[in-house]
Amino acid sequence: MNLSRWGSGILDRGVGPLFLVPALLLLVVLLVGPFLYMVGVSFTDLSFALPGHDGNFVGFENYRRLMREDPVFWQSFGTTLVFVSSVVSVEFGLGFALALLLFHHVQRRRFVLTLLLIPMMLAPVAVGLMWKLMLHGEFGMLTHYLRELGLLGPQTALLGNHDLVLPTVMLVDVWEWTPFVTLVFLAGLLSLPREPFEAAVMDGARPWQVFRDITVPLLRPIIALVLLLRGIDAFKEFDKVFILTGGGPGTATELISIYAWRVNFRNWDLGYGAVCAFMVYLVVLILCAVSYKAIYWTEGRAVK
Amino acid sequence: MRKPWRMVALATLVVVLVIALTPYLWLLMTSFKTRLDALADAPVWLFTPTLEHYPMVFLDKGYLPLVGNSLIVAGVTTALSLAIGVPAAYVFARHDFAGKEDLFFFFLTTRMAPPISVVVPMFLFFGYVGLIDTRTSVILAHSTFNLSLVVWMMRGFFADIPREIDEAAQMDGHTRTGMFLRVLLPLAAPGMAATAVLCFILSWNEFLYALILVAFESRTLTVGIPGLVTPHGTLWGQVAAVAVVATLPIIVFTFLVQRHLVRGLTFGAVKG
Repeated sequence: MNLSRWGSGILDRGVGPLFLVPALLLLVVLLVGPFLYMVGVSFTDLSFALPGHDGNFVGFENYRRLMREDPVFWQSFGTTLVFVSSVVSVEFGLGFALALLLFHHVQRRRFVLTLLLIPMMLAPVAVGLMWKLMLHGEFGMLTHYLRELGLLGPQTALLGNHDLVLPTVMLVDVWEWTPFVTLVFLAGLLSLPREPFEAAVMDGARPWQVFRDITVPLLRPIIALVLLLRGIDAFKEFDKVFILTGGGPGTATELISIYAWRVNFRNWDLGYGAVCAFMVYLVVLILCAVSYKAIYWTEGRAVK
Repeated sequence: MRKPWRMVALATLVVVLVIALTPYLWLLMTSFKTRLDALADAPVWLFTPTLEHYPMVFLDKGYLPLVGNSLIVAGVTTALSLAIGVPAAYVFARHDFAGKEDLFFFFLTTRMAPPISVVVPMFLFFGYVGLIDTRTSVILAHSTFNLSLVVWMMRGFFADIPREIDEAAQMDGHTRTGMFLRVLLPLAAPGMAATAVLCFILSWNEFLYALILVAFESRTLTVGIPGLVTPHGTLWGQVAAVAVVATLPIIVFTFLVQRHLVRGLTFGAVKG
């Protein structure tokens, strides 16, 4: 039924939808095809490191191993959840506050905002490097001043200490992505209708009441959007942490992407690696479906 | 606004800007410092600049071709994504057909897909067809995420053009394809330019796909950087020089597309 409707649609609208074909072709060949291939590989013992493991069918063995025998995977999953929830909430708070500050108190916003955006536009690899340089245990600029202030022991390096390294990496992420939250919230604030605010001021509402009862409810779709987009991105984090710590010391900062990278491209355990990569994909797909709803929610409401 | 509050706000803003910009400034300075200044016990803020690191790393160490690779990869990816993404975006903006929104969701998922999950199968696939360690493999890989960015951004730009323009163009005797090429495309050109710049930036900055897919001659700049960092005796002046070359163009571009960044980064959900 649907197909025939589609077919007649093409006929009476001319060739329009044919414009979609090249785009779909590219995605099917480069994403869908290889993805299905990977799902196939996940049922084999394919490995480039072990002799004789040349892709024999092993059923659900890799999945069983992931669920039952791989504490490191679940540990990195946990690290990732801690990382995501911490950075997203801090970035959200700081970014929102900064957006309000710019919105209410700064006139030449555009220029200031562009300067603020620099951290998030730089290549994440370069961000990692910059901070590695600043946090270096011997001559790092920040290390030096932290030691002068007595906040850091003379032998301690932020990136080398098992307890300090994860919070440090999180701070770098906050530095990099808070501007994104600010940017989106500022756009949201600028798009809000003026009438409710004028009416509230006429009624003698205090600034805090206006914020709580008008600004936040009107921004709710934007809030959902920011949380989900940042959540998905933080869950995928790889580049910066890979450069800063490589997942170490030990596995202290081994996020799930880094673990999946290690299984595939250090251990060359591709059958099992396919399962790990698949799991990362599943989580993101779920978050993605939720955010799609949120985006449509946004379109139907305040922002247009 | 009362005056003391204004001062507090400005002071906060200055502190925020200092925090946001100092790390980059430090990188910039390190790229012009002698080895002695870079490794000094106390941070050196004033120094006699040296230009030795740039020719050293780009000419003597052969990093110049990596700049070329990055330019080619980002340039071709951008062109390819626009060439096939813009027509698709037009269809999404102007045509209705069954399952349109589901198809659109499919484009979103390709943009959101975690690189590590995409690159594992791609590595196997490109290995199978013999494209590993070629620029082509990176170009194709980057096109997957840039294509959906183009579709998302351009759908919004086309939707911003009033439908009356379509009707007027058809009254003037344009065919649908002619209308798309001669009327709508020129009107969407500013949006297309912003989209192109954003595509270029995303490809230029990308690391993981390139890290896995190329190893030697076809390395891009981002993949080349970690190779300079060693556990001991890293030449930070050279590392910084490469990082500066890898980031300075992007900062210029950021100023160019700032107005369209919000739309691009929120998948069209928020218009800047």
